[in-house]
Amino acid sequence: MAKAFRASAGILLAPAVTLIGVFVVVPMLLTIWLSFQDWSTQTPFSDASFTGLGNFREIFGPTSVGRDFKTALLNTAIYTALSVVLILPLSVVFGLMVYQREVAGGTALRTVLFSTYMVPMIAVALVWSKLYAPSEGPLNQLLGLIGIGPQPWLSSPRSALVSIVFLNVWQQVGYFTVLAIAGLTQIPGSLYEAATLDGANGREQFRFISLPLLRRTLLFSAVIAIINAVQVFEPVALITQGGPVGSTNVLTYHIRRVGIERAQGGLGSAMAVMLMLSLIVSVSALFAFVNRKDSE
Amino acid sequence: MSAATRSLSRKRPSGRKALLATAMLLVAVASAFPLAWMVLTSLKTPAETMQVPPVWLPHTPTLEAFGKVADVINVGRSMWNSLVIATVTTAGILVTSMMAGYAFAKYSFPGRSLLFSLLIATMFLPPIVTLIPLYRMVGSMGLSASLAGIIVPNLANAFGIFLMRQFIAGVPDDLIDAARMDGASELLILFKIVAPSVAPAIAALALFAFVYHWNSYLWPLTVLQGNADAYPIVISLSRLLSYNRGAVNTGLVMAGATLAVLPPLVLFVFLQRFFVDSIVGSAIKG
Repeated sequence: MAKAFRASAGILLAPAVTLIGVFVVVPMLLTIWLSFQDWSTQTPFSDASFTGLGNFREIFGPTSVGRDFKTALLNTAIYTALSVVLILPLSVVFGLMVYQREVAGGTALRTVLFSTYMVPMIAVALVWSKLYAPSEGPLNQLLGLIGIGPQPWLSSPRSALVSIVFLNVWQQVGYFTVLAIAGLTQIPGSLYEAATLDGANGREQFRFISLPLLRRTLLFSAVIAIINAVQVFEPVALITQGGPVGSTNVLTYHIRRVGIERAQGGLGSAMAVMLMLSLIVSVSALFAFVNRKDSE
Repeated sequence: MSAATRSLSRKRPSGRKALLATAMLLVAVASAFPLAWMVLTSLKTPAETMQVPPVWLPHTPTLEAFGKVADVINVGRSMWNSLVIATVTTAGILVTSMMAGYAFAKYSFPGRSLLFSLLIATMFLPPIVTLIPLYRMVGSMGLSASLAGIIVPNLANAFGIFLMRQFIAGVPDDLIDAARMDGASELLILFKIVAPSVAPAIAALALFAFVYHWNSYLWPLTVLQGNADAYPIVISLSRLLSYNRGAVNTGLVMAGATLAVLPPLVLFVFLQRFFVDSIVGSAIKG
């Protein structure tokens, strides 16, 4: 009986494990292997020749390859940090708006917020490229109504990356709001009742009950937000092509350009490995930070 | 809006409530504005889209822009490609996720938690990390520039396995044991007994997978290598932006975006309960 069960477990697992093994795990290992190779994406893997740390030296070196990569790494870090810093507080505020029972319409608000998460990023990019249009674009028109002059948005190196952060936040915040609501529903109502009896006001209850008990939810949200943010591609590929003057050149776009379009597979793989390492480091740091707070 | 706010605060003495209601309304308007503007602009005449200050509502709504989209890209073909990609991928994900989720939830075998952790770890891997070798591998399998090349690598994913395991774990063992006593095969038990008891989770996974793969851009763009016959709608759209660049193309772009947004948004409106429940469920149980 036990043996038969083990056999059927094998059959049940085989399709998923094979597919994920072949199409995720093997390519990931290949990426690591290729990062130490001199290899053109247009040739078979067998044509790769070992170069040690050559690719890594080049992408961190003083040539244009190194300059472009370092810019892309920095842009991605800024983009990711800004996205997380904006999305997390907004998701808690919006989550409270949906969760509270004083004013009706919370569920409707949740629907509106979450609907943007269903929209293909390419459509988001198209729509926002027109919202940001300098003269006839509605955003500058609306700013004009409240007395603020026209902003250059996507056309200036100073504001282009931030403009893409805004459209990312707009698209994703509904998803994180739903996560925040899930966290809020986990907090026992009795805690708030006890706090009310003790005379704690709404702000104190938020500060000393909601926020600490949301820590796990926020950690999960931060990890997902980071993973999502490093994947930004469509607005850059479609609208800015990494410009103006490299200000929106982010890693997903840059790695694809180097590794696929220019077929420099070894260099592109070394960049992908650095992205993977950066993610591991930042997510571990985040966990360490939250755990230290927990033990305090 | 200010009139509405004022009447609200008159009815309710508490200024706090009025403030909260105003804030909620502002958030909803800001959130809905880009898509509302997209649809309205798709119905404007070319002249209206260029007017400064902008015309918010089209005076004589026209479908002209949608007709022009059909001149620039093959709308029917692109929508069909998107439908095939999203549907076949979703079907594959459902089958592989239910099978593996069932094994992880209801079987004990050596290395189970290690294998599960390894699979879950792949969930956190951004696709760009595997893109370069995967592109080469799919090419050497003879699948590049085809719909199969887009679909095959995505037929299983860790999120689906995770979600199915979470929900199948809640199905009573007695139910499964009883069917085993009757001599039912494991696959029969999975699809006839287990699946119906986790139907809402299956619906949620189906919708997630469908929307994700309808919207997916990076992989199709990479694998298709410019084979326009196989373009899903999201890739065809990028042609609209370069069409007539510098001249009037705003209405055209908005009409195309509206077409691409409609299927996932309509699905969402009808089935949002499943989406939201499964996110909440996976976050709590995870």
